[in-house]
Amino acid sequence: MGLRSFIVKRLIYSFVLVLLIILLNFAIFKAMPGDPVAFLMTPWSKETPEARRAQEEHLRSLWGFNEPFEVQLAKYIRNLLSFQLGIEFMSRRPIADIMAGKIPYTLLLLGGSTIISIIVGILWGLVVIQKRGGLFDSSSVMGSLVVGSLPTFWIGLILLLFFYSTLRWFPNAGAFPRDWAGNWPVVLTSSGSSSPSALNVIFSINFQGFLTLIGGYLWHLTLPLFTLTIFSVGGWLLLTRATMLETITEDYVVTARAKGLRERTVLFKHALKNASLPIITSAALSFGFILTGAIITETVFTYPGLGNWTWISIQFLDYQVLMAVFYIISLCVIVANIVADLLYGIIDPRIKYG
Amino acid sequence: MIDVATRQSKLSFQLKRFLAFLKILVSKKNSALGVGLIGFFLFLAAAAPLITPYNALGVDPTAPLFPLSAPSKAPTWLRVLPGWLGGNPTLSENMLVVNNPMAPTLAKDGGEWNFEKAGDSVSDPYLVADVGIPEGYSPPGFTVGAKEGSLAVKFSRASGTSFQNSSKIRLYVEFDYPYLGPTGRFVGNIALLVRGSSYTNLTSKFANGTLTYVETKHLYAPVVVRVFIGQVDGKEWKLWPNPEIDAVTGAKMGVGQVNSPLGFAKDPVTNQPWGINRPESGVLVPGGWVISRGSAATKGGHIDSESNNLVNPFTEFGAQSIPDRIVFTKPGGYIYGVEITFLDQMDNTRDVETTVFIDDFGLFLFGTSFGLLGTDHQGRDLFSQLIYGTRISLYIGISVAVASVFIGLAVGLAAGYLGRIVDELLMRVSDLLLVLPGLPLLVVLMAVLGPSLENLMILLALLGWMGFARMVRAQVLSIKERPFVEAAKAVGAGRFHIIINHILPSVMSLVYISLATAVPGAVTAEAALSWLGFYDPDRMSWGRMLNGVFEGQAITNWWWIIPPGLFISLLAVSFILLGYALDEVLNPKLRMRK
Repeated sequence: MGLRSFIVKRLIYSFVLVLLIILLNFAIFKAMPGDPVAFLMTPWSKETPEARRAQEEHLRSLWGFNEPFEVQLAKYIRNLLSFQLGIEFMSRRPIADIMAGKIPYTLLLLGGSTIISIIVGILWGLVVIQKRGGLFDSSSVMGSLVVGSLPTFWIGLILLLFFYSTLRWFPNAGAFPRDWAGNWPVVLTSSGSSSPSALNVIFSINFQGFLTLIGGYLWHLTLPLFTLTIFSVGGWLLLTRATMLETITEDYVVTARAKGLRERTVLFKHALKNASLPIITSAALSFGFILTGAIITETVFTYPGLGNWTWISIQFLDYQVLMAVFYIISLCVIVANIVADLLYGIIDPRIKYG
Repeated sequence: MIDVATRQSKLSFQLKRFLAFLKILVSKKNSALGVGLIGFFLFLAAAAPLITPYNALGVDPTAPLFPLSAPSKAPTWLRVLPGWLGGNPTLSENMLVVNNPMAPTLAKDGGEWNFEKAGDSVSDPYLVADVGIPEGYSPPGFTVGAKEGSLAVKFSRASGTSFQNSSKIRLYVEFDYPYLGPTGRFVGNIALLVRGSSYTNLTSKFANGTLTYVETKHLYAPVVVRVFIGQVDGKEWKLWPNPEIDAVTGAKMGVGQVNSPLGFAKDPVTNQPWGINRPESGVLVPGGWVISRGSAATKGGHIDSESNNLVNPFTEFGAQSIPDRIVFTKPGGYIYGVEITFLDQMDNTRDVETTVFIDDFGLFLFGTSFGLLGTDHQGRDLFSQLIYGTRISLYIGISVAVASVFIGLAVGLAAGYLGRIVDELLMRVSDLLLVLPGLPLLVVLMAVLGPSLENLMILLALLGWMGFARMVRAQVLSIKERPFVEAAKAVGAGRFHIIINHILPSVMSLVYISLATAVPGAVTAEAALSWLGFYDPDRMSWGRMLNGVFEGQAITNWWWIIPPGLFISLLAVSFILLGYALDEVLNPKLRMRK
């Protein structure tokens, strides 16, 4: 089977997975106690029972609750596939709109920590493998195991305790200083004639404002980023160490040693190339879980991304939001799986698709 | 003679084998650490009731309605810790001032109450055995007893003698307060019953266009009650009743004036009129008591440094609230008591008699420190929560591990041995579940199903079997082509027989390893969900303890934050180490690689 048919097969399989996830969502929604129409009704209106009944009927037909089961299901699938995720209970705004505003923060936080922990973890793993069997090796492995089994929120709490409560170095909440609201640092300044038309206004970048902006964001990003990095760096260390250990017993590594090559050359030229395959695919997969890992850390630091929003929705029992977040995260994971599969094939010429 | 293996010898053989296995485990440093830690946690879980006097929620089971301490307080050992380590010598501890408020006794009889009186018409306090608070709620340290008697003070004046208006008695207890800092809060109680000779008054009332006459009872010698606290030979503060402002004159009214049995029914026992018209929170209870104490919840008649009853009197002294800090400014002798003044000015042509019964008169000082780990935001003991939390974590970790390993084993065996459509179906299901993001799915399902530990366990088991099932399937695929399976087939053994007797034993080492390594995931998942708020409201787990840190806004209380997280990770690490050790013992191939 060639690459093309493999891709087609993967895509079809992934589409089926998406449909299954939508079905699961639908089943959960149907199994939930309570009438969704009651949730949509305006509870504060002081109308007659007849008017309320009319409103209920209206809503029922408006939202399609009076339609047969299969039509409802079809509409549900269509809506989710086109990212019409419903409305949020509190603000009554479309969930997709709110989500679009939350995702950048989560991407910034989780993307940053994933990249940092992958780089640091792999480098650390390579250092450890050079000194394997020693105290540094065993303490690194042990430390990774311990830190990896810590609850993430606890790491966050400890960091808050130390760097916020005690030292006051970093803030405890938000993605930018609270007093910025309505008073943002000026990044672009305009100069030109007093009656600005688009043509004769000259924009110039205010570097100080720009640095303030970046600095403010980074300052608030530090603790949550650090939390996530501490938590996940050990996993990359262990993975690198394990795959390297696996490869250095292979015959070609023994051969390389027998040739009289330096240990470093053996490790990095011969062993690492082959050990890198599972590491790279794991990295690709881990990007799929970028949106997943955010719930707890963002909640600890009240970082305004998807995760914190999920937590707030839990407080209001807004199932719509919870399921929308679940759906989007699942989509990410599926996409990352496809990417990882393809990547594996591209970087490893030995792989035959099929 | 044939040596038949008896049940006993079989058992002893198994035991010997197990001990030998344990010896191998303990002989290595890491695995010994893991086994030791697991043993430690098992001990904590088993011995929890012996280690701590409180229950799993950190509440005293004998007085569950009352907090053990003020909320979010520090551990007591912080008092002796040096300052640079976070110690604080000004912390105070819980202190029971009145030992037995339900059965008050006088100091001269070996009890705790002293008295001073002014005027000869007042009797010395005397014990009345058959009058007392029958039953009810009581604060910690206050013993709930049946009718254990009360102290009575009797005012009497014969007809024709002169008024004895300034007759007064003070009943008090002196105690030594040893702490440098103030209390966290203090709570006191008093219950009073007043009986005496009375007259009836008619008062007119004009309402809704009609004039009605209301019959009211008044004592000939009403009383004024004042509960006070203060330093010995220093300032005294009135704790109860709270002062009221006269609506017309703006002047402070004579407070706590028990001047008539107004509005109350007759005493059902003696058929005498009785009662206290102030405080308004006085209530009628079975047995004829007018009781001035209430509950901490209603705060009526209940002396509590956090309630309005105390906040109000203290505004008088320019202090805004915090009466603890005003009263308990330094270590030394303190006094707590009640002053009863008899107002005899009504009628000196007749015999006048008023008796005041005092019961349930106590004081409890909540310290600013409590126990080994302090208290949570509801004044519950964190140490017992931590110890009992071991049970929850072990329970959920081991149950989930057993359940998910069992599902994985069944699926792996079925998929591997039966193959074809069963294999395809089961593996596609496991693929689907592997792709689903775990925590968000758990959050959605817990929100729908409702937070209960058992729900969470079922979900974790259903979502945690896939990796193990794949391992088992791979093992089965390689084993089922071996000659001994072929031989069994040739003899005519059934599928079920082959799976159980020939294939299962070869995957059992995988089972043991997975049992150990599946525990940490379940433990941390429970902690994470509890922390997010999906905790079982009836159970206190380590995750829920940490949830309380945010609920109680106590991010600076490191003694609260560090222990639960440390225990979670220690438990997780112990099982990981055990899993690694089992892996090494049961997988001889691994031993060669080093």
